[in-house]
Amino acid sequence: MNALLRILSLPVHLLAKVPGLGPFVKVLSTTVGQKILMALTGLSLCGFLVAHLGGNLKLYAGEQSFNDYAHALHSLGPLLAAAEVGLFAMFALHIGLAISTAAMNRIARQKDYAVKETKQGVFILPNGGASNWMMLTGLLILVFLATHIMDMKLKANPGVDYSAAMNTEKIVANEYHAVKAVLSTPLNAAIYMVGLVALGIHLSHGVRSALQTLGINHKRWNLLLKLGGILFAWGIAIGFMSLVVWAMSYKG
Amino acid sequence: MSTDVLNLNLRVWRQAGPNATGGFKTYRLNGVSTHMSFLEMLDVLNEQLIAQSEEPVEFDHDCREGICGMCSLMINGQAHGPDNATTTCQLHMRRFKDGDTITIEPWRAAAFPVVRDLVVDRSAFDRIIQAGGFVSINTGNAPDGNAIPVPGVKQEVAMDGAACIGCGACVAACKNASAMLFVSAKVSQLAILPQGHPERNTRVINMVAQMDKEGFGSCTNTSECEAACPAEVSVAHIARLNREYLRASIFAEA
Repeated sequence: MNALLRILSLPVHLLAKVPGLGPFVKVLSTTVGQKILMALTGLSLCGFLVAHLGGNLKLYAGEQSFNDYAHALHSLGPLLAAAEVGLFAMFALHIGLAISTAAMNRIARQKDYAVKETKQGVFILPNGGASNWMMLTGLLILVFLATHIMDMKLKANPGVDYSAAMNTEKIVANEYHAVKAVLSTPLNAAIYMVGLVALGIHLSHGVRSALQTLGINHKRWNLLLKLGGILFAWGIAIGFMSLVVWAMSYKG
Repeated sequence: MSTDVLNLNLRVWRQAGPNATGGFKTYRLNGVSTHMSFLEMLDVLNEQLIAQSEEPVEFDHDCREGICGMCSLMINGQAHGPDNATTTCQLHMRRFKDGDTITIEPWRAAAFPVVRDLVVDRSAFDRIIQAGGFVSINTGNAPDGNAIPVPGVKQEVAMDGAACIGCGACVAACKNASAMLFVSAKVSQLAILPQGHPERNTRVINMVAQMDKEGFGSCTNTSECEAACPAEVSVAHIARLNREYLRASIFAEA
């Protein structure tokens, strides 16, 4: 654990040497600062999910509409590449902080209890609700993400038949058919569904938790924040899941 | 009257010293009155152990009326036992059934090292308070109580934080052994009151720094601390600490 922490804190030591970043690094070296950065990156990634779902829902508008959208996105060129680098950095930060704070938390407990119970009420999930499933669901999302990038971005999944999406030069050009080919592969559909359920669980705690970490908590608003967080989480997850179901059942 | 008496199996953590290897030892304790408090039951156990020329079980206690914060104990996996908003000393044996096995462990946290048996060293909390959990009054007489007006609502919210007795149940119950509820209760209380304002920036920065130095974990907003807290301190205080920390980090003059 200690060795892991030392490796993970290397970029921080390097960053501290960059002029002007000293105070920033100092804030981020505290547990509270790290959780704040996790909250900010998490919420930013939520913003990405909204945009991504919004674009993907164009699948329902038909082949022409979706391909136009895909083309418009790809023609952004360097802007898109910059956005992708930004996204990657967000993910890397979020995941890196998750691992380092989790390792610190394990060290802080030192020795587990022989018996551990809770005074909190009953949760839908066993073991104390979504907040105790963040690591596992995060890991599942990461596996899903890796598959997703291989499928859709690199179009390199050997289990997917991309032929319907290829043009005469055997290059995958029709994004609409590519998406359908990926999502209608049973193994992929299963991985996507598991990943999206994990996403729903992750966000059902994550959104509310991020707001709390940023100091947003007031008894006047808490019920709305709690329900809003859950609604957002499952709205996003079910929105994406509907596309998998659509691709699986769509003929033609 | 027979229903008022319990025969219990007590599975108690025994550890001879800070560096000794500890382990559970099971004791049979018969004839425990349901009217006893949990600590009185341990007193009876110790009488029995002393009579058998065994070392009595060390445990922390002082006021035995729920305000000093000295008693601790993880009882069947619950900080301060199964009841809400009570300390171990306020827990009564009527809460248990005849023939029960009760597992009793010390608080577990790297920052709360075991001193002996069920006693842990909670001086990490003292050092966090010393880092900023105070209001400096360097000279003169005590100011008049009514000279600084404080709205009633603010008094109430500040008092909710001040209700913390510093027992460490939040750390014990938290899966990360985080001290955020304890630290936030004090930061929050003093940030709300005008008397705390002059030092509010340095206070939150220094107290968080000391909290990290002591080796407590970070907050994952699981709210286990709030559920375990005998003084019912709310996680809303943790949100206020986060606000104070952000504010101080970005805007503080020094």
